[in-house]
Amino acid sequence: MPANVNSRMIELAHVGRSFRRADGATVNAIDDVSFVIPEGQFVCFVGASGCGKSTLLQMLAGLLEPSQGDVVVGDKAVTGPGPDRGVVFQKDSVFPWMRVIDNVEYGLKCRGAPAAERREIARTYLRHVGLPHVERAWPRELSGGMLKRVAIATVFANGGRVLMLDEPFGALDYVTRRQLQDVLLNLWNADGVGTRRTVIFVTHDVDEALSLADRVMVFRAGVKVDDIPVAVARPRTTDSLLLPEMVEIKRTLLRHLGLDHRVGVDEAAP
Amino acid sequence: MTSNARIVGDRWVSLGVFAAIVAIWQILSIVYTAEAAPGEPMVAGWQVLFTKTFLSMSDYWPGGLGVPSVAEGAPRSYLAAALSLADHSLQTIVRLALGLLAGGTIGLTLGLAVSWSRWTRRLVDLPTQFLRTLPLLAMVPLFQLWFGTNFIGEVLFVAYGVGVIVFAGAVNAVSNVPQIYIDNARALGATRFAIYKTVILPAILPEMRSSVLLSLGAGWGAVLGAEYLGAQSGLGFVIVYAQQFAYLDRMFLVALLFVVYTSISYSAVSRLTARMLEWAPPSQRN
Repeated sequence: MPANVNSRMIELAHVGRSFRRADGATVNAIDDVSFVIPEGQFVCFVGASGCGKSTLLQMLAGLLEPSQGDVVVGDKAVTGPGPDRGVVFQKDSVFPWMRVIDNVEYGLKCRGAPAAERREIARTYLRHVGLPHVERAWPRELSGGMLKRVAIATVFANGGRVLMLDEPFGALDYVTRRQLQDVLLNLWNADGVGTRRTVIFVTHDVDEALSLADRVMVFRAGVKVDDIPVAVARPRTTDSLLLPEMVEIKRTLLRHLGLDHRVGVDEAAP
Repeated sequence: MTSNARIVGDRWVSLGVFAAIVAIWQILSIVYTAEAAPGEPMVAGWQVLFTKTFLSMSDYWPGGLGVPSVAEGAPRSYLAAALSLADHSLQTIVRLALGLLAGGTIGLTLGLAVSWSRWTRRLVDLPTQFLRTLPLLAMVPLFQLWFGTNFIGEVLFVAYGVGVIVFAGAVNAVSNVPQIYIDNARALGATRFAIYKTVILPAILPEMRSSVLLSLGAGWGAVLGAEYLGAQSGLGFVIVYAQQFAYLDRMFLVALLFVVYTSISYSAVSRLTARMLEWAPPSQRN
């Protein structure tokens, strides 16, 4: 690992988050989670819905405060949202009242970047996500997949060194999802000078995690239950998912998700 | 039939209805000949309204611009009548416009303050909740005693009527702004002020549009209400003055003028806001 790379880009120490339910009971959405992620790593959070992975992401983004423990990103304790961390949300977050290009340069504008400079950056990333032709369009004129591309261009243009994506492609069809995975990986690979950005990608799709991640963390009921490196070389193809080591990881992940018992159901049926 | 042809067809229907109303009024004036006072028909036909009634508007011309007033001994004239209507209309419209501007600004600011922080909510919520439950018309005599019949009092009355509606609309609209947009703006590095300017304000616009149109109607009502009570100019003054002498035709003429003004103001505001909502789906623009 090069010397200028931060080996502790993201650090969580005994982080917990509890909510009070309507009936008064306290629920631990996240319970004593600790991990360290080095700069440039692509990490997937996997778990069944309700396992706390989105809560964790919100705490990293600074949109939610932890009840216990410390969240440190880039050697600074997270106390709120900041442009050093970008978020692509599960739901559509593109502002409908701004044209596409204005959406992409929004963060830069908030920080007072000069108009010409931010427009240049926004155009560059719109090109990267394959949407240079719609820069003057209103978001209502775009499809769901295109809106996600705009959201990705927006966080990349904003320049954060840590990107968090919360089930970004969950609502998209298979083809669009595959295309957007490539868009994301290409940006992560080719974009910027020097080190890659650090990415945390929340998903419940095991195949998606395996084709994207350097490392997969598995959560269940607010607890980190496994942390698996995925050492298979990139670029990964459909065949990569059939490598014995990949199949082994996939088995492990499915077991964590409680899906392994399904094997053999048909044989047992009368 | 193409949709364009259908729109043209619809226009003919509207025009036909309009012509029918005009005709029915005329028939009514012929059939029903009762008089409120000698020479003052309860229902004045169009031939009366556009001649004698219109001419009588010169009575309300205070003089000036080289056109002497009836009070100074000059005969009634169409010029004095037209000037008179223009002058009183202008008075009313200026009061309305200033009241709308003040009430809209204050109502919107207070409405946004409710969601700005816990402190501002505490500060604003109780007094405004109290204010909005006071019936507007019950406040007319109070405003009259407080401010007399002066210009500021009338403007304030309109501002109050408008402000309450805009405030309630703004509070409601802000609470309906999807959290995802606010989260997204925060994550991209927007300050609270920037969020209000670039997210909350545009996001509440579609919903505020109905509040604005509603408050426009309330504003017209309020400005008339204020003028009924002792103003010395404005369309409300003309109506009240005419009522004292049972000049029903004059009251009717001013009411007609009023319909024209309100229609124009509605369609102007409606078009303006529709243009500001270019980004929204068509269902939110009509």
